[in-house]
Amino acid sequence: MSLCQTRLQEERKQWRRDHPFGFVAKPQRTPQGAMDMKRWECAIPGKAKTLWEGGLFKLDVTFPDEYPTKPPKCKFTPPLFHPNVYPSGTVCLSILNEEEAWKPAITIKQILLGIQDLLNDPNPESPAQADAYNLFKKDRKAYEARVRQVVKENQP
Amino acid sequence: MATFGPNQGPGAQESISDADYLVSELYLPTNQRNPTRINEIQARLQQLQKGDHAWAVADSLLQKDGSPHHRFIGALTFTVKINVSWSDITEDMAVQVMHHLVNHFVTRVNRGEQAMVTRKLASSLVTIFRHPASLWKRALWQVAASLVHGGYVSEEECQTVDFFNGVLPAMAKEQAVALVFFSVALAEETLRLDAEPQDLAVDGSVIQRAVLNTKDGLLLVQYILQQLVHQVNVADDNAVDLTLGSEAMGAWKTWLGVYGNFQRSTDTDKTHNLAIVCGQNIIEALRVPSLSESAASILTSAFESRSWAFDGNSLWMLSDILAHSAVTMHIVSVKNGDEISENMAFVDLMVAYVSSLQMELFSDPMTSQNVEILTLVHDIFQTPGYAAIDDLATPRVLEYWNDIAECLPDQLETDNPRYQVVKGHLAQVVLGVFNKLLYPAVTDLEGWTDEERGEFNAFRYEACDYLLSAYPVLGVELVGVFQESATTNLRNRDWRSFEAAMFCIAQLSEAVDENGHADQCLDAIFGSDTFTQLCAGEETGLPLKARQTLVDAFGKYESYFERHHSLLPGVLNILFDSLNFESCAQAASRSILTLSKSCSRVLTAELPAFLDQLDRFETKPTATVFTMPKVLEGIATIIQNLSTDQEKVQTLERILGFFVQEASTARDEAAGSGYEFARARGHLVLSCIASIGKGLRADSDDVINIEETQDGNPYRPSFWNAGPGAETQRLIMESMRLLIVDFPVDNNIIDAACDILKAGYTESSGLFVFPPSLTVDFIKSFPLGISGTDVIMATASSFLASHASHALQIRNEAVALIVHVAQLFSSMLENPDMYDPETANAGIDFLARLLPKYYSILFSLTEPLSAPASDSGSPRPPILAVLLNFTLHALTRPEPLPLRSASTFWVAVMDLRGSTEEETMAIQSVLEQFIPPLCGALIQQIAGRCSRSDLLSLNDVLRRTIFKKMGLARPSLNAALESLDNLLPNGNGQQGSPLSPHDKSRFLGSLVVARGAKQQSLDLVRSFWLKCRGMTFDYAQ
Repeated sequence: MSLCQTRLQEERKQWRRDHPFGFVAKPQRTPQGAMDMKRWECAIPGKAKTLWEGGLFKLDVTFPDEYPTKPPKCKFTPPLFHPNVYPSGTVCLSILNEEEAWKPAITIKQILLGIQDLLNDPNPESPAQADAYNLFKKDRKAYEARVRQVVKENQP
Repeated sequence: MATFGPNQGPGAQESISDADYLVSELYLPTNQRNPTRINEIQARLQQLQKGDHAWAVADSLLQKDGSPHHRFIGALTFTVKINVSWSDITEDMAVQVMHHLVNHFVTRVNRGEQAMVTRKLASSLVTIFRHPASLWKRALWQVAASLVHGGYVSEEECQTVDFFNGVLPAMAKEQAVALVFFSVALAEETLRLDAEPQDLAVDGSVIQRAVLNTKDGLLLVQYILQQLVHQVNVADDNAVDLTLGSEAMGAWKTWLGVYGNFQRSTDTDKTHNLAIVCGQNIIEALRVPSLSESAASILTSAFESRSWAFDGNSLWMLSDILAHSAVTMHIVSVKNGDEISENMAFVDLMVAYVSSLQMELFSDPMTSQNVEILTLVHDIFQTPGYAAIDDLATPRVLEYWNDIAECLPDQLETDNPRYQVVKGHLAQVVLGVFNKLLYPAVTDLEGWTDEERGEFNAFRYEACDYLLSAYPVLGVELVGVFQESATTNLRNRDWRSFEAAMFCIAQLSEAVDENGHADQCLDAIFGSDTFTQLCAGEETGLPLKARQTLVDAFGKYESYFERHHSLLPGVLNILFDSLNFESCAQAASRSILTLSKSCSRVLTAELPAFLDQLDRFETKPTATVFTMPKVLEGIATIIQNLSTDQEKVQTLERILGFFVQEASTARDEAAGSGYEFARARGHLVLSCIASIGKGLRADSDDVINIEETQDGNPYRPSFWNAGPGAETQRLIMESMRLLIVDFPVDNNIIDAACDILKAGYTESSGLFVFPPSLTVDFIKSFPLGISGTDVIMATASSFLASHASHALQIRNEAVALIVHVAQLFSSMLENPDMYDPETANAGIDFLARLLPKYYSILFSLTEPLSAPASDSGSPRPPILAVLLNFTLHALTRPEPLPLRSASTFWVAVMDLRGSTEEETMAIQSVLEQFIPPLCGALIQQIAGRCSRSDLLSLNDVLRRTIFKKMGLARPSLNAALESLDNLLPNGNGQQGSPLSPHDKSRFLGSLVVARGAKQQSLDLVRSFWLKCRGMTFDYAQ
């Protein structure tokens, strides 16, 4: 079994054993019902006591063959209104960038918790979509209203 | 050299007295409520613990027979002082301190010291052990021998007596307890050093010395546990020392960690066997009532991370205990509802045991013990209460079965008899877990917190995860089980069971919807008479939860209903009815949309009924921006399939009339200062109209290619703009006018209005194909700096893209839009205070997008930009120059998005190829004029001024310029590099490192050699940027 597969099975085991409340992370299934370990469907709840509370945001996590040497790609489906999420839905976060802070020891749990933190704490230095970034910088009230709307549209 | 005792140097006695007093004060009851005083005491005490006389203070405090608090602080002082004097401690001093501490340890233990002091002294011993100057090796053996001897024994001397057969049997119980304290502290510290090393070389040598004690640590465990079990056998459970037993078992777990991390792969001294034997001793301890719970927890944890600590014999012993002992009764009592933590520890152990065996559990034949254990595992599903709330055992057992279901197809062939055995168990689990999925009765639910509701829902999804894992093994029979339940319970109006069955069926859609494997099962439910009655609205007792689940199920079986459209009218009836319930409305509207979209052709006959439903829904509080647009989009897709435009127009007029009224109401609200209501209503109206536009889009196959239209008119007269449909189109334009012109600017309203405009861009003719001037006027109506400019300009780009094949026929509109952007840019260049990054980014992005098809129009705009009405004075630069200069300006600014779009723009410019000589000349002229300033801007930025994250975009322009326009680029880059100051400012405004002429020429030469290769070029640019910053600035910092 490849290093990638072994690690992902271990991740799956660890996640089953202990995962943060309200989060979902599981490998997708092929049409035949078998699991595709390299594509996980995940969901991140908005953090309590933040604007994002009450929302559950679906995320596709795709692991490259070189995982864990290379990081997985995390993509909100549908794309999420957030300054650090590209229009395609891909998350722009340092721990998911091979050239920045990715380390093979980072677990799926840490990635999802990191993205949850990012929701309410965007990084204005790395804008990924104009829509949310401009509103965040220019009109915080309208930004917050839009986030509330996004939360309503993404309830569990 | 460490100096101990009260008479060691001037001031020692005073420090000792102070410390004595301070410790008494620290624990004085009257001071406990005075944090200021406590802090003050601790601060002074810490000074003494770190001071010159700390050794003497520690010694003295440890000898205070009457006060354990003093002795505790005394022991702590040794640790503090060792740490403070870390760099001063020599090899001799380490021996001296160790010798002294061992003597204290022995003395205190032999005087019956309290556990907290002994532990602290053990910790001090470990602190000196891990000092790099210490040569201490077999610490456990030496401390044990010293305890027995009654004073310090050297390492060489102690090893003359066998540890297991000589030293340990001579120890008193209290001595054994103290030795275990030290043993655990040593093992824990070893693991800590491994996990959080401060200095790899130093810590590595300490670890090497520590692991020499693994065998002694395990022998100690073995000795103690054998003694305890023996005591129980000859006396009774009361004879067992709980502390000693628990500590010994804990020591096993910790030394297993040390052995596993450092020795297991190279073990030659049979320590592995010893670890296994100790594990077996702990398994035996499960039979000792007072030790069994601790033993169960320790074993569970070892199974999870150190399963190699069990051999076949261990597993056999454990299976026997799980199946036939008091442990069995604990597990049975969980099933009977007695979920105290003690009992749960045994369930956890059972799950850990079966999990470790995986498929081996189902051996052929199975051992009688395992058969009984499996029965216990299945019986857990009978535990009373709600799973994850008051039944914690069920989720744990389910987790195990989920693993088995996932592994089975990979590990056993289907014709293997064991496969069939496991399959039978998986089916049994389905039946067992079903009752656990019943949603709580309303009365039960009222007492639950949000978190408990969340936990229970999470369990239901875990259970469905199991069903999906089991489906490849169990096949469609699995759906059959729930179908049986659903139909029976629907007939009997047992709504809770019906809901649970539908919930499972809904979750299984992932496996069976598209392939149709379970269609027969679904037919049995949705084709039943009872379901028909439900659809007809004859059943009024359907509870909300069941309705919610049913609505979800409809949404998940889109493909099934596409194959069974005769069922759709009834299903949509339930869905429309469900729009009235807040908790179902969103899901219902989603399902209405998906089902209407996928089956629109067959639903046209139902349209009148749906429109009546819509009329009723429009005024309901659940008709919100989250629900109504979806419903309308669904209905519009059906309208699109009506056979004649005349039929369509009648229906659409009926719908749109309502929205014009609503738009007027919003306008009145805005005039009356009810801004928030007005905005919300306006947003709803335009979102709904935009959704109708989306729904009315012709199927992509049917789109007529505008390029092929003969007359070239982008807005030909048609049914919708010059015929009977014109009034309907007017209603839309009227709604937009009411909500845009002199209406409070609102981001959501702008978004929705843009969606309305965009709805017709992909069509040749239709209700939403508006005159091009509508888009142009709309875009020009917004002032500089409003929030939402990016959406507006993206609409302008879409507009131009939709006419790209006949660009010249909308030349006037294109020019109007480009000039509008030039006016915005000019305002920002002339008034730096008005610089708006959003407008800058949106405008440049607009230019970049239009470039490939409209560059000839853009490059022809060489006439001066007209001055605003308020300024008739000085002439302004040409339109093209304003635009291009602005893009260069954006490249030099710090805002990331305009910089990125300006980079994209210039990359697009470099890629342009003229199709005629005239066009080629126009492009060449622009390049000759702008490549020098472009190179200047790029070099300035990558010379340490821009952010690191901007380098990617800037590099794209740089490499493209070099690759495509080398002749122009090289001298321009050379000049730009020449003009750089030799000492550059770095990103923090401080001076960076000097950049020599050689650095500059080498950089340019390397770029040229890279010939535009992305990574090579990027590496060069990054190194150059770092060099200019004058430090090893990187992400790590």
